[in-house]
Order: sequence, then structure tokens, then C-alpha cells
Amino acid sequence: MIEVCSVRKAFNNVIVLDDISASFEKGKVNLIIGQSGSGKTVLLKTLVGLFDPDSGHVLYDNRNFTEMNVNQKRTIRKEIGMLFQGNALFDWATVEQNVRFPLDFFTNMPMKEKQKRVSFCLERVQLSHATKLMPGELSGGMKKRVAIARAIALNPKYLFCDEPNSGLDPQTSTVIDNLILEITKEIGMTTIVNTHDLNSVLSIGETIIFIKSGKKWWEGSRENILETDNQELREFLFASEVLRKTLVVKS
Amino acid sequence: MQFLYNIGRYFVFVKRVFAKPEKPKLYLLNIVREIWNLGVGSLGIVAIISVFIGAVIALQTAYNVTNPLFPLYYIGLGVRDSMMLEFSSTIVGLILAGKVGSSIASEIGTMQVTEQIDALEIMGINPASFLIMPKTIGMLIFSPILTILSVTIGILGGYLAVLATAIIPLQDYLFGLTLDFVPYYLVYSIIKGLVFAFIITTVSGYQGYYASGGSLEVGKASTQGVVYSSILILIFNLILTQLLLA
Repeated sequence: MIEVCSVRKAFNNVIVLDDISASFEKGKVNLIIGQSGSGKTVLLKTLVGLFDPDSGHVLYDNRNFTEMNVNQKRTIRKEIGMLFQGNALFDWATVEQNVRFPLDFFTNMPMKEKQKRVSFCLERVQLSHATKLMPGELSGGMKKRVAIARAIALNPKYLFCDEPNSGLDPQTSTVIDNLILEITKEIGMTTIVNTHDLNSVLSIGETIIFIKSGKKWWEGSRENILETDNQELREFLFASEVLRKTLVVKS
Repeated sequence: MQFLYNIGRYFVFVKRVFAKPEKPKLYLLNIVREIWNLGVGSLGIVAIISVFIGAVIALQTAYNVTNPLFPLYYIGLGVRDSMMLEFSSTIVGLILAGKVGSSIASEIGTMQVTEQIDALEIMGINPASFLIMPKTIGMLIFSPILTILSVTIGILGGYLAVLATAIIPLQDYLFGLTLDFVPYYLVYSIIKGLVFAFIITTVSGYQGYYASGGSLEVGKASTQGVVYSSILILIFNLILTQLLLA
């Protein structure tokens, strides 16, 4: 479980995160939703320690991550997998080398075992055929899947996904969403996903927090999000005319 | 104020670059790769520059000798010592600042803006060390080879110029090459090459590492890497000359 306690963060006196508290449960896909520029990515990067909060703290299974020194943070980071918005695949390495990279760095496994693990991870994301390709030769969806395979290579306890569906068509987005959900269940990770994709919200959002202008406005799950009476959340959810009409017709 | 901030941040960065590696074996492989990419990859340009510099020094010196009492073999000596004292380290250093420096700054800058450096950080790896240390060590290892090669090719360039133009007797040129050889000049040249290699890799690495934004900023970082490396090379050239030759 990951807990965020009264986190504040400002850049050049502009408040980006304003007293955010939340808890993200183990074995579930926890979503952070909000408009572009609402502070989702800053919150995610604060959670993984790429930004230090101005006040407040982040707990990883009751371990205060914010107060740890660099070496202690590194230990926690070895338990983290992250899927970046732009994939962040190493462009000097093949698909296979990208997935093997954390294994090379943090394990003493013999090469044969590492290869086995890489094959497993790539098979899990249905990319066994692409081992020798370079990131530049992959489609957007394939890159996301390689990034997922790399993120799970070390069997992480925590998985962070920053807008995993950005730039993908709806069908591929569904594939990625399902993959994240399935892997979360298989490994029993605490997964946190940043998104503004409503399909993801309604299909994989087991717990959801909604942030706007750096503040948390709502907390719930996909079961009760559409019935919310929170005005800010409704404005976000029903910004699309098509969706609004569809839901009116349905109801 | 920004200037002081950057100097301070540069030293913190260099400290991170030379932090203890997490997996020395992987670093070793990267060092070998960087020796190949940065060092061996620079052999061509260093050879071309050196051969022309040597040839031009020989011709310019010969054409400017008007005193009939001036021994012509001094032209060979002049080419040899000029290459050792200045050209093989400083001019080659400036050229490498352009070639290697821009390559490092743009590579690291691109990794920064595409979040590859964040990805390394989140994995628990020290990205500054993992990415820059092999480049610095690779260049430090290969720099003496480049310097010695440059001196040799420069002398050869002078030889070819003399051979082609017959501006002085060839045996005078060859005699001059063997006259009053000071081995310390070669050591001096190698030391300068090492310092310049360190400056090029760390300054350009620093510029790329702290690039933010998009392709425009990567280009800016690359330019700054070359400009700052070149200025520092000239400053340290002066300092080292005073320190090592005084």
C-alpha cells in the first residue's frame, strides 16, 4: 500500500499540489484522474521521488519514502516499475536488452535464467517475436508493451503508469488497460495509473481519485463515479457531448 | 548568480558521475563501447586535422625563413615541437569538443527529454554515473593515443609537404626531427590532452543532463556543451602551460 499524506508541491511559487492525501491499495489498479495540467504527473513523480514534496510525505508500506536518504530510496526503487508517458525505452538497446536491463543491473542470475525471464515477460505482453527489434522500429502500442515488460521484469511491488494510453487508438488502449489490470492481479502489485481516458476509468479503475488544480476533489471507484454529484468531477467526466448524450439515453 | 549556481551544480554533478558504480562489470562494458564510439570514432578527424596542420607548419616556416644563416633543419624541429606543445593537444581538443562534445550533449539531452534518465533513476540506478563515467574514462584512456597519433601524423604531414614541394632538402627535415628532442614535451601534451578530455566529456554531459523541454533545448544544450568546453580548453591551456612549462 502507498499512502500520500498532505503533500504540497510548488514550482516558482505556483502551487501544483495542494495538500493531497490519498491511499493506494495493494493488488488493485488505483487511478489518478484529472484534466491535463491538473497536477497528475507531478503527483506521480512525487510518489516515485523524482520530485521532493515541499511538505507532507509518501509512505511505501509504512516506510517513509520522503525522509529516506538516496541509498535507502534506491532500495525502494528496486521494488518499483514505471511506465512513462513517452515509454522511455532505451533507444540504444533492442527490445530484449531493454527488458533484460533491470535484470543485468540488479540480479546475479546466469544469462540463461535472465533470458528465460525476458522471454516470459515478452510473452506476457505478446511480443515474443520482437526481441531483436530496436525501439525505433516499434509501433506506439508495441512500445508501451515493451515498457510494461521492462517494468515487470523484476516482479515489482509497485507499478506506476503515466498516461499509458496517450497516443494510442481505443482498441490498443483497451489491450494496454487489460494488460495492466491482469498483471496487477497476477503479481499482487500496488498499481497507480495516471489517466484522463474515460474508457480506462470505467474499465480498470478499482479506486479512483480526481484532482483538479492540484487539489483532490473526489475519491471513489468506477462503480460510483458516474453517479457522482461532485460538480468538478461531472464537468470533467461529461465534457464530451457524445458521452453525455449516450449516458442520458442509457439512463 | 546563475553562473555560480551552474558552477556549483557542475561540481555536484561530477561527484555523482564518479560515485561508486553499482555494477562495475556493466560499466566496464560501457567503457569499452565508449572507447570505440568516442575514441576510435575520432581517429579519422584527428588524423585529417593533424596531417594538414603538420604540412602547413612546415610550409609556413619554410616560406618565412628569409635569413640564409637560419638552419633549414629547424623546420623539422619546429613541426615536431609545435605539434607536441600546442597543436596535438589544444587544436585537436577544440575539434574534439565540437565532435565528441556535441555528440555527448545531444545524446544525454535526448535521453533527458525522453525520460530515459528518469527511467534509470526510478530503477535505482545513478544515471549520471552510468551514462557519463564510461564516456569520461573511455576518453581519458584513449586521449594519450589520440595525442601521440596526432603528433606522429602531424610530423608525417610535414614530411609529405616537404617531399611534395621540395621546399627544403628532405634530409634537413628528417635531421631536424631528431634534434634536441625533449621527451617531457610529449608528457606535457598528453597531460593537456587528458585534462581536455575530462573537460569535454563532463561539461558536455552536464549540459545534456540538465536539458529540459524538447528538441530545441537539446540543440541548445549541444551548442552550449561545445562552447563552454572550448572556452574551458583555452583557459586550461593557458593555466597548464604556465604550470607545466614554467
